[in-house]
Amino acid sequence: MECALDAQSLISISLRKIHSSRTQRGGIKLHKNLLVSYVLRNARQLYLSERYAELYRRQQQQQQQQQQPPHHQHQHLAYAAPGMPASAADFGPLQVGGGGDAEAREPAARHQLHQLHQLHQLHLQQQLHQHQHPAPRGCAAAAGASAGGAGALSELPGCAALQPPHGAPHRGQPLEPLQPGPAPLPLPLPPPAPAALCLRDPRASAACSAPSAPPGATPPAAAASPPASPAPASSPGFYRGAYPAPSDFGVHCSSQTTVLDLDTHVVTTVENGYLHQDCCASAHCPCCGQGAPGPGLASATGCKRKYYPGQEEEDEDEEDAGDLGAEPPGGAPFAPCKRARFEDFCPDSSPDASNISNLISIFGSGFSGLVSRQPDSSEQPPPLNGQLCAKQALASLGAWTRAIVAF
Amino acid sequence: HKRHMRGAGGGGCPAGGNDFQWCFSQVKGAIDEDVAEADIISTVEFNYSGDLLATGDKGGRVVIFQREQENKSRPHSRGEYNVYSTFQSHEPEFDYLKSLEIEEKINKIRWLPQQNAAHFLLSTNDKTIKLWKISERDKRAEGYNLKDEDGRLRDPFRVTALRVPILKPMDLMVEASPRRIFANAHTYHINSISVNSDHETYLSADDLRINLWHLEITDRSFNIVDIKPANMEELTEVITAAEFHPHQCNVLVYSSSKGTVRLCDMRSSALCDRHSKFFEEPEDPSSRSFFSEIISSISDVKFSHSGRYMMTRDYLSVKVWDLNMESRPVETHQVHEYLRSKLCSLYENDCIFDKFECCWNGSDSAIMTGSYNNFFRMFDRNARRDVTLEASRENSKPRASLKPRKVCTGGKRKKDEISVDSLDFNKKILHTAWHPLENIIAVAATNNLYIFQDKIN
Repeated sequence: MECALDAQSLISISLRKIHSSRTQRGGIKLHKNLLVSYVLRNARQLYLSERYAELYRRQQQQQQQQQQPPHHQHQHLAYAAPGMPASAADFGPLQVGGGGDAEAREPAARHQLHQLHQLHQLHLQQQLHQHQHPAPRGCAAAAGASAGGAGALSELPGCAALQPPHGAPHRGQPLEPLQPGPAPLPLPLPPPAPAALCLRDPRASAACSAPSAPPGATPPAAAASPPASPAPASSPGFYRGAYPAPSDFGVHCSSQTTVLDLDTHVVTTVENGYLHQDCCASAHCPCCGQGAPGPGLASATGCKRKYYPGQEEEDEDEEDAGDLGAEPPGGAPFAPCKRARFEDFCPDSSPDASNISNLISIFGSGFSGLVSRQPDSSEQPPPLNGQLCAKQALASLGAWTRAIVAF
Repeated sequence: HKRHMRGAGGGGCPAGGNDFQWCFSQVKGAIDEDVAEADIISTVEFNYSGDLLATGDKGGRVVIFQREQENKSRPHSRGEYNVYSTFQSHEPEFDYLKSLEIEEKINKIRWLPQQNAAHFLLSTNDKTIKLWKISERDKRAEGYNLKDEDGRLRDPFRVTALRVPILKPMDLMVEASPRRIFANAHTYHINSISVNSDHETYLSADDLRINLWHLEITDRSFNIVDIKPANMEELTEVITAAEFHPHQCNVLVYSSSKGTVRLCDMRSSALCDRHSKFFEEPEDPSSRSFFSEIISSISDVKFSHSGRYMMTRDYLSVKVWDLNMESRPVETHQVHEYLRSKLCSLYENDCIFDKFECCWNGSDSAIMTGSYNNFFRMFDRNARRDVTLEASRENSKPRASLKPRKVCTGGKRKKDEISVDSLDFNKKILHTAWHPLENIIAVAATNNLYIFQDKIN
């Protein structure tokens, strides 16, 4: 089918719809949000399939260049492992450290991702300004940065998001390399929107919430520290009216989902982890590299607590974004969500690739409770609460689920 | 004279079973360009005799029109509908527990069969169903002993003689009073209500559940369908419409956002989670798009009067199903296929989420549904013909015939055709109703209600 919009625009439009549905009279419409989530899934599938195809093509090219002198080998090795998209390094801003030249490769292709990244940055900015609402915990890590990790994206197949291209026509647009760097946000989203998408945890430290530099300021820094973001679900007070969700709309690796059951008024927080191609693609995602399951994110998993609705109103008044939702008065303690960096790792995916017909696959998360994670050897073991933060705006898509879940 | 249209399908319409010749009859509502949101009509329903026509709007009001008796001295007024009663059915509410505002918009009105002089109808918003009694008062008692004519109590010592009060005629007054309020049974938004053929019970359906009520009992309802998954993250579809079978009081159907319909038999078990029949047409893989799920979502399901067929409306088509065949519909009618290439824009402006309703005529020989640009479509099932008509003020001369409209899909636009890009997507006809016995239709165009009649002579 012809569509005037590309997958990425559809994704952002859909997110906007979900966000605005939160403020519509009459509460969130379950039916409409469910339909929007299907569009998101479809767009994501196409987007990812295109990227995957592109990355694969680049990998093929890279492999042909393997005859280069050894001092280049190191860099290439990281990306040229068989089966791994060579251009992982191309996603510049999301890398830690070097690779700057690598990402210059396809400026055009990065633009889209860059836009998303900008969106994400904006989102972070919002967080920065809201001191009383520290960044959400449980952001998907996406960007495991460990260079050593072999970066081997052997987990790619494990990414549920990486459905085989479902036959949707290739949109014919080259994937644009992600350009690091400033630039005003190209996306017309209102500032509150992305921020609104971000879950907040009052107990999380502010560190996670604030990007260390304003968007534009230091691309490498920005690149190196993917915004602490929108964890799809970690905030308590998440209603379970619609779909929970986390995740990833393709990009981030782990997230928590907190759902409020409207019938029983019990809040449940579930860790989920999901490895996604995009996060793997960012060069040094250790989770992608290692397959061994690591310690799960235990503490907050499946903890239940009562939801106190009164708080939501308060929160909404206080925030610019205005749509965060209540924070529970008590509950499991959450470790501060530190600024996501590429060194952070993301948990392995719990592959649920086969079932794309339900919300779990739509949002790329497997709510399987404990999620295995493989910490980077150079890293401290991450706090249990998963302050892994999404590395791209697409990652923040998980956060918006809060919007649709709130009922 | 008019033949009655009732019959188990196949009966021709009085105009000979061929073309209807629709004429403008009346239009109700303000003419202003500026439409107040509260005035937007959200449901239209004839009663069982067709003498009463009820509309509900976004402001929570119900307006009932009554057909005037045919008057020999005014033959042209051929049964016009005039306002009979207006009342505020629902008010906006706030659910403090969940911090949610509950809209007062009337989602559905369903009449009860008439059993005495009063009329009863059910009206519902997102959360609460109300049973209203509409009764007439045209007499007043006069001559009380204990109070004066103006109502002041008389001093008993002053009463020296007794008299019997007598009834005197008064100006007709139509009163609407809420007799039952069925509340707190739905967590999600109510989309349908349907009165059972036993005239004692009715169902109400929200996104995930269907409840069965007794009309006399408000503090209890039985949940008969529950599709809420144990893990809400596994939600894949919601209930979009539900209806009782017109004759079999144990049978109901409900449609889903995935384009399927399930028929349930309440005799089989108390909880009808397992369907007796499952109606689904396999998707055509070549037409797959980003929006396939959205356009396959069923927005309305209606049994035929005969009970043999049912009709479903999805975004681009109406389908007629034989209840005995689950594998595919027996008829598929394209409503506005030219929109298929515009789905992206319709998604952006939210039009793709519009929920169109559909209706049968009294003899089940024709079906009708709405479209954009104030167009509505009628399909004659026997003659295999369809027509596009427009509800507009321009065609509002009394008894003026409606001219068929045509949308030009590409290439050269003929005279009188309108191109797809010129369609006004803000003018949508979502709600239509067909008189149960005659060829009279009511079409809701935003805040206006158009009534068209078939020219018999």
